[in-house]
Amino acid sequence: MVTDARRVPELVLGIETSCDETAAAVVADGREIYSSIVSSQVDLHARFGGVVPEIASRAHLELINVVVAEALVEAGCDFADLHAVAACHGPGLAGALLVGVSAAKAVALCRSIPYVGVNHLEAHLQAAWLDEPDLAPPLAVLIASGGHTMIVIVEARGSYRVVGQTVDDAAGEAFDKVARFLGLGYPGGPAVDAVATEGDPRAVRFPRPMAGDGYDFSFSGLKTAVVQYVRAHPEAAVADVAASFQEAVVDVLSTKLLAAARDAGARTLVLGGGVAANRSLRSRVTDLAAADDRRAYLPGPALCTDNAAMIAATGWYRLHADGPTPLNDGATPGLRLPVVG
Amino acid sequence: MLLAIDTATAQVGVAVGVDGAVVGRVELARGQRHAEALAPAIEYLLQATGVRLDQLAGIAVGIGPGLFTGLRVGVTTARVMAQVLRIPIVGVASLDLVAYPLRHTSRLLVAALDARRKEVFWSAYRTVPGGLQRLGDYAVGTPAELVAELEAHGAEVLLAGDGALRYREAFEAVDRVELAGPEFAMPSAGALIELACARFEREEFSRPTEILPLYLRRSDAEIEWERKPA
Ligand SMILES: [Zn+2]
Repeated sequence: MVTDARRVPELVLGIETSCDETAAAVVADGREIYSSIVSSQVDLHARFGGVVPEIASRAHLELINVVVAEALVEAGCDFADLHAVAACHGPGLAGALLVGVSAAKAVALCRSIPYVGVNHLEAHLQAAWLDEPDLAPPLAVLIASGGHTMIVIVEARGSYRVVGQTVDDAAGEAFDKVARFLGLGYPGGPAVDAVATEGDPRAVRFPRPMAGDGYDFSFSGLKTAVVQYVRAHPEAAVADVAASFQEAVVDVLSTKLLAAARDAGARTLVLGGGVAANRSLRSRVTDLAAADDRRAYLPGPALCTDNAAMIAATGWYRLHADGPTPLNDGATPGLRLPVVG
Repeated sequence: MLLAIDTATAQVGVAVGVDGAVVGRVELARGQRHAEALAPAIEYLLQATGVRLDQLAGIAVGIGPGLFTGLRVGVTTARVMAQVLRIPIVGVASLDLVAYPLRHTSRLLVAALDARRKEVFWSAYRTVPGGLQRLGDYAVGTPAELVAELEAHGAEVLLAGDGALRYREAFEAVDRVELAGPEFAMPSAGALIELACARFEREEFSRPTEILPLYLRRSDAEIEWERKPA
């Protein structure tokens, strides 16, 4: 490839407000992260033990200008330097999405630059390329967070096949509910992960829901099993229960991801979403992949959890693939991943 | 030149004006899908009036009280436009924008907007030289609570707004209360130009981050939370 030294990189401002993170980022040519600012609202939602949509929406509105300004300052650029602006337009919380979409359209309108509405799930899939531009499909990707749990086969960049998803709770939701029940605090993922290191993951044999059942997941039964076990064994050590619960979740997620990869002939396993920051899941996926002569690609926690760099990168990619999104396009809380075949 | 935006009701209203006079305005009465309608409305208005973005000296926005979804779209858009264009911003209560076009009445003026969940937002005004004076705070409550307040006033009342029309049977039953017609049901983007212009002249403007919706109600979750025993 011949590079033109005079070519100005295409800077895209990305905005992400689909859940409880207010985030903005500047990414050059869909690859190079100039800045990525994430303002978490975890503290605002902690006392409710989960994300409260109305509180999230109000906080996004209060934070949006400052987070965008910080992303520009850190990137060393100004609104006038932007080539396009992208915002997550779904899936997510309705009121929360509207803040990011409205902010992005306001920038597009004032600067006469293209606006791109980005699918949050596609952004999680595309995040892998930000760290690893040479990643070669097909990939088997597990996206697991408080809002979604699914296995996607990425046939080619921009071409996806959802092979499995949760039939009830998302994995992150299961962590939140169990952590709350065990009195470990919010958010549940990091809380369980921390206390599990002191427990025995084999202390309790919790069920592996839908283990032999294709690539779909179910976590609500597992949560019930934890509740029933603790009621029957009030003397059980919390660390052991937490470690055993985590073991069951990690077991199901990693085993299904590997099976899906084998099935699709994908040589590489990828993790995305907040649950991908779980240390036990990361090491298990690494081990399973190595034992099966496959590669595990695990983006750092900053790219796994919700962020706007993945929105900006996907926005750049979609702008070149499909062109801009019209300004009369709103937000779609139930947006699905665009799939092929 | 000012750009005015109000999305506190089912209506999407935008206007541009200078020296308190409206140059052009767009009001979409059934614009419930604010996120879809607002940006194209602004784009069209600027194009149709020939006003360029670099001519805008300020942004005025209706901050409610009103419907949360619409307010988020309008207030976010206004805040970010002001940030990108580096111009000041003024927030005006949307109830004031219902009352203002009726300021020449000698009666007590009450604006009431539909708050959903069987409630209305309201505010009372009396005419003073040069405009309106608001009496008391912006309030939220059931139509019956507003009826009780109107009865207590005992004055001749002109009642306007989509909240007044939605519960018109309740309000029409009150003596000495007359309802203003549907043309006065929504916040006026033209009134926003006029009121904001005066504020800009007095340099009573804000930075984008200082402008927030007037919620009046906390979120359901917070209300539920406080009801719960500890
Ligand atoms: Zn996510």
